[in-house]
Amino acid sequence: MKDIINKTINVLENGGLVIFPSDTVYGLLCDATNEEAVKKLIQFKNRPPGKAISVFCDFNLLNELVKITKGQEKIIKEILPGPFTIILPSKHKVCKLLESEKGTLGIRIPKYQLINQLIQRYKKPVTATSANLANRPSRYSIKTLLNELSGKQRQMIDLVIDFGQLPRNKPSTVVDLTQPNVKILRQGDVVFSETKTFLSKSVDKTKSIARGVILSEAKNLAKRKLNKPLIFIIEGEMGVGKTVFVKGIGESLGIKNIISPTFVIYYEYGNFYHFDLYQIEDKEEFKHLKIDKLLKPKNILCFEWGEKAGEIIDLLKSKGKIIYVKMEYVNEKEREIKINI
Amino acid sequence: MLILAIDTSCDETSVAITDGRKVLSNVIYSQVLLHKKWGGVVPSIAKRAHEERIDFVVEEALRKVGNKNFCSLQNIDAIAVTQGPGLAVALEVGIKKAKELAKKYNKKLISVNHLEGHLYSPFVQNSQSNPKIDFKFPYLGLIISGGHTEFVIFKNHLEYEVIGSTLDDAAGEALDKAAKLLGLGYPGGPMIERLAKEAGNKDFHNFPRPMLKSNDLNFSFSGLKTSFYYFLKNQPHFTLRVKELSSSFQEAVFDTLIKKTEKAIKQTKINRLVIGGGVIANMRLRKLFRDLIKKYQGEVLFPSYKYLTGDNAAMIGVVAGFKAKKGLFVKDIDELDRLPRWSL
Repeated sequence: MKDIINKTINVLENGGLVIFPSDTVYGLLCDATNEEAVKKLIQFKNRPPGKAISVFCDFNLLNELVKITKGQEKIIKEILPGPFTIILPSKHKVCKLLESEKGTLGIRIPKYQLINQLIQRYKKPVTATSANLANRPSRYSIKTLLNELSGKQRQMIDLVIDFGQLPRNKPSTVVDLTQPNVKILRQGDVVFSETKTFLSKSVDKTKSIARGVILSEAKNLAKRKLNKPLIFIIEGEMGVGKTVFVKGIGESLGIKNIISPTFVIYYEYGNFYHFDLYQIEDKEEFKHLKIDKLLKPKNILCFEWGEKAGEIIDLLKSKGKIIYVKMEYVNEKEREIKINI
Repeated sequence: MLILAIDTSCDETSVAITDGRKVLSNVIYSQVLLHKKWGGVVPSIAKRAHEERIDFVVEEALRKVGNKNFCSLQNIDAIAVTQGPGLAVALEVGIKKAKELAKKYNKKLISVNHLEGHLYSPFVQNSQSNPKIDFKFPYLGLIISGGHTEFVIFKNHLEYEVIGSTLDDAAGEALDKAAKLLGLGYPGGPMIERLAKEAGNKDFHNFPRPMLKSNDLNFSFSGLKTSFYYFLKNQPHFTLRVKELSSSFQEAVFDTLIKKTEKAIKQTKINRLVIGGGVIANMRLRKLFRDLIKKYQGEVLFPSYKYLTGDNAAMIGVVAGFKAKKGLFVKDIDELDRLPRWSL
């Protein structure tokens, strides 16, 4: 065992590539801080540039490599070591080619003695990519792996650690822990003239509050001859009843098949648009939604997770009439609903 | 019949070439709008919208078939496209491209419901015609994904009756959101599956099974979400055990799915299931369905290849093949418009 580690470290130190067993498949290891070695690895894998590659490390190295909040640290300690790749903002201590375009880095701390010992001794992160070529299946034995390589590729390998057939474990599961990069709505972004507070003890009551608001506001708009779309910005924690509120609005307009649009970001029902900004993690994504095109008179737009609308609030304000709804848990059965008009 | 199928229902641009039930090629370009599926594709390309990549994906799908003389746009018999349900701006791109190709190459156009695709996904074959299963109608169909949770009686080819669906969140969405509450980031479903497995897929907390008492076949996961939220809120942070919680939440969702399915089997007296959608990639859920169906001496069919559980154009092309057989082509190509909330 010690001999294997010594030999491997020797190659890594000299910028070489090693095929090495892991908790999942045979991996291709090189020193993650050595740019020449990383370039060689990318060339070997025939991997499109810009595609990120994760690294093996240990708990000692973790804080040097990525930025971790207290909350994240607890989660990480619970699930690692294990077959997971954790994505976090990089501190740029590894070769930049391994990071994603957004400057994040994938981290692996496996439950696998050989790798753990290697990292412990080497004290530097090493690449954790599978040794198969890009777009080819993962390989569990050295023989099948070497068979699909060209002569030139075989020459690029400096050391092969053959542990025979590895158990057919699935590749690691990737989990992205980076925080969203969107502007959060702040108090004062929109000024309201009136706030009403309601208490709801049931789904039906929440819906009827929503109905009341839409009816009086539609009237109000008509009376003031305001030719603007109506925009509901709805804030509140998970499970508080935001979708229920939107269903209430929809039902008063005769739309009965509203479901959560989280997965697709928004659903469209004639001139009624039901958004959920929950999945929006980057301000770039707003551009693809073409929201400006929907801001026409007579349209109604509802935004769940409206706090994430900071990026587009000026647009919404300039073209529409905003109603801001804040929903809060009073307890498991009751909700407080504040409507700002 | 060679069909070029396009699906842009959500964040994935997918184009496939199919021949009957056989898939000759299927190209999926992920990460468009939600370009955070780390490790997927080249981010600089992924940043652009569907529009900028659709041509490339069409070409790739044709190229991957290999035989150029056999497979070019001229030799394709019809173009198929997902008309809905899905994200409007995304659907638009696929439909526009499909119309353009149909006109340019003078091909017939077939419109497909994305949910039909999921129902047919267990019957989709690879280029070697595997799996070799035959249709034995009627089936009780289930679509369980990040965007849908529906019960459908799959009566015959292209004949469906929806008998239950979610009133709020989809099952996959509930799992993703639980993962988020646990601080597990995105995407949460596969993470929950893996952590639950490490906890032995046991139920430690017995979270509520929503809608089991109701007599209908609808689902609602918002109550479960609330109860999970409250549970986490009332526990001191340091005592939370992520694996046990993942496992318990997953069991609550899956148990609901299984019990409702049992109810549906009893009501419809159909003991043959076809199940499609992203959540059925979960091996624990497959096992639970196999166990259930053993009890009713029926059969259960899942998609044979993992890519068929997610959004893909291959299943759209296969549905289109059956539509073509019945002469169900789009009559007025210019009139075809997206249907973001199209139901079966």
